[in-house]
Amino acid sequence: MQVTVCFYSWFKDLTGCSSVTERIAPGTTLGELYKKLKERFPKLAAMQKSTLMAVGVNYQDAAYVLSDGDEVSFFPPVQGG
Amino acid sequence: MSSRTATKSPSFRRCKGVKLSEASVMDQRMKRELLIAKEPIDEASLLGSRKMSSAMGAAVYFLGVVRDTEQNQPIQALEYESFQRMAEHQFNLLFDQIEKRWPIESVRVVHRIGLIEVNEPSLWVEVIAPHRGEAFAACQWLIDEMKKLVPIWKKPV
Repeated sequence: MQVTVCFYSWFKDLTGCSSVTERIAPGTTLGELYKKLKERFPKLAAMQKSTLMAVGVNYQDAAYVLSDGDEVSFFPPVQGG
Repeated sequence: MSSRTATKSPSFRRCKGVKLSEASVMDQRMKRELLIAKEPIDEASLLGSRKMSSAMGAAVYFLGVVRDTEQNQPIQALEYESFQRMAEHQFNLLFDQIEKRWPIESVRVVHRIGLIEVNEPSLWVEVIAPHRGEAFAACQWLIDEMKKLVPIWKKPV
């Protein structure tokens, strides 16, 4: 199955792109996807402890099991105001 | 890109200790307005469009302005970026919580994104309530939670 991964703020600089499409196995968790992307984009590893993860418009944790077509977002701590 | 939402959510539940004179306020749904847009914040227009019922005694508003330093370094401006759909959703979840916690008549939020120069406002928040206590508390809480949950980022220019 396939998911879209979007990067925001300086994560776009770390990865060099704003989004990628990833093929993953059924049952893949958000944490497993993040680990896979760290291998592809090693600069993400430095931000691991402060990375926020969302699926659609809701925050999710690493144990969240992904579905085909999900839109995943990884981004740094928010700074509105 | 801009977006405007004006949505209503379920009625506020009555709490113990609420005076009868305030019950009519709490029977009504909290009005909410949210705008995340690149256009400059027009304070005069926002103040001019304020609506308060006769039962309301407090209107608190907050204006966040870009400072001339960021992490002790001088800056000319801040560039704000948002994940628009999620930002709107997260703001609405916060509005839901405000409606459950305080007898608020209305909340209006304008967050500017894009390039914002020093001394220009980036955030405007207004809370209208029967008394100042809940108006100040809800306004402070909303801004604090926004800074933890709403996906908006800034970088110095």
